[in-house]
Amino acid sequence: MPEQKDNDQSDEAKRTERFKELALRYSRYYKGKVDTFPKVPVRQLNDFSIWYTPGVAAVSLEIAKNRDLSFELTGRWNSIAILTDGTRVLGLGNVGPEAAMAVMEGKALIFNYLGAVNAIPIPVRAQDREQFISVATALEPSFGGFNLEDIESPKCFYIQEKLQKALTIPVWHDDQLGTACITLAGMINSLRVVGKKISDARVVLMGSGAANIATARLIIAAGVRPGNLIMVDSRGVIDNERKDLDGMMVNNPWKYELALATNSDRIRGEAANAFKGADVVLSASRQGPGTIKEEWISSMNRDAVVFALANPVPEIWPREAIGAGARVVATGRSDFPNQINNSLVFPGVFRGALDARASGVNVDIMLAASTQIADFVKEPGPEKIVPTMEEWELYPSVASAVAFRASELGFARKSGSRESFYRTAHEKIEENRKMYRRMLEEKYIRELPGGDVNE
Amino acid sequence: MSEDFEVRKMREGDVAQVIDMIRRLKLLNQEFDPTFQVAEPPVEEVSDSLHEAMKQEKQHILLVADTGGRAVGIVKADIHDRIHYLPRQEARITEFYVMPEFRRKNLGRKLISELYRELRKREITMVSAEFPSLNLIALGFYKGLGYRDLVSVYGRHLD
Repeated sequence: MPEQKDNDQSDEAKRTERFKELALRYSRYYKGKVDTFPKVPVRQLNDFSIWYTPGVAAVSLEIAKNRDLSFELTGRWNSIAILTDGTRVLGLGNVGPEAAMAVMEGKALIFNYLGAVNAIPIPVRAQDREQFISVATALEPSFGGFNLEDIESPKCFYIQEKLQKALTIPVWHDDQLGTACITLAGMINSLRVVGKKISDARVVLMGSGAANIATARLIIAAGVRPGNLIMVDSRGVIDNERKDLDGMMVNNPWKYELALATNSDRIRGEAANAFKGADVVLSASRQGPGTIKEEWISSMNRDAVVFALANPVPEIWPREAIGAGARVVATGRSDFPNQINNSLVFPGVFRGALDARASGVNVDIMLAASTQIADFVKEPGPEKIVPTMEEWELYPSVASAVAFRASELGFARKSGSRESFYRTAHEKIEENRKMYRRMLEEKYIRELPGGDVNE
Repeated sequence: MSEDFEVRKMREGDVAQVIDMIRRLKLLNQEFDPTFQVAEPPVEEVSDSLHEAMKQEKQHILLVADTGGRAVGIVKADIHDRIHYLPRQEARITEFYVMPEFRRKNLGRKLISELYRELRKREITMVSAEFPSLNLIALGFYKGLGYRDLVSVYGRHLD
């Protein structure tokens, strides 16, 4: 076993190094991953009199009379901004907005490829959270939604809450909400596999960063009893008498609220104590292996569910977790079964939010997305609790669930049936894929330098 | 967990819990302003000062919020003589804390009203509260009770 672990780690490290090398090489070659390109015909230069002045003045005047027409007469209906201040980029920390651009371009690529969303990466140099909010607010008229990305915690909660309240477009912080949605979807199916009810489940949240705080809030909305939820951070189990609770109240009120509401059994001390008798562990913690110990898993309830989501090395290797008694194991990696991956969520969520011209997203819409992702898996099993990225029908189905729920809740500027939203999303994604394939075939998108070596 | 609270005078058996609460209060002050860097005084020292205050009933009022025999909130007020002003006596709240899980149950206000009752019995009609200027939670709490800024104490560390 130890030998196998070493091999896993060394293979993974080699793969990661190879990806990094290719990313640098290709970035030098392509100089950016996304671009804007005209989508209207220019038959002759005189056509600019339609698309630009003087003709375009009529369009401006119409929008000036009714600002919502910006969703009908310009590209706003399908455009979102990916906003970041670059303070917590991947696992790299505060690398700044310029360095964050490479990552945001990658996100924009996924938005386009999987959800046909025109996502514009906008890393921002902001001195503080208020300046960031002010920049985002000023950008609202140009976009149908904002995806916040890689902003440090707990600043991200403050920014998201303020913007959600102030703006009339959806504001989604993917590190929180996307992760929470796919984690809940995976948890719903895991509990189906082991035949336990969500209302009875004892859940440990290992790690109390942005993702797990958002996950805690969402799974409570989904039916987990707050008292049955135990949060663990780097200092151990969080209970409502821990000495640092007042510091938490001042510096991270979102975590503080959960600390007061959860852990009704008053479990205290080290992380191991939280695992005893738990049904589910959702870990977004320090890289492993060894962050979660096998004996902790063994102390859990029968048919334990373990999500070890640290990347690239999970908190415990799946085989160890299963050996210690876990029935369902998920990680953040594509080379193990059950990859908990935000990319299964955000393309569909934004496709749906844009198709409905939603004015916001809330926990009900997130629940609709999670439930749809869970239900998309027709026969959940220990090695199949979430769809994979190749299951293309997933994205329009999530989009339709989101759009329909938004219209039910009165958040949508456009209403429709679930089927009609599905058709709209499906057509848009298909059309985009066809166009992209065509551009590849016609070599308008240049081939990889040195051939296709991304194997 | 019982939701029944009683506000009563602090007793010998409350000392350990009160020491814990006062320490939490000081740590909270430190969160707001690092100038209030929390020292680690020996428990006996804090315990002695509390015992002393309990003995000197004329100079100090110590009330606790009790649930199931456990002190989960504390208010301590010191009585000062005012030579130059009227009224001649003032009660100053110097320690005030409610354990996190018992907050939002109106316990803080209950402690304060019991303190007022005790002050009225003693015919003391002036009350003030002392807390670090940057402790926004205390500021909000007392403003909500109708307190206003009375005295400013400025300070700095010597180089």
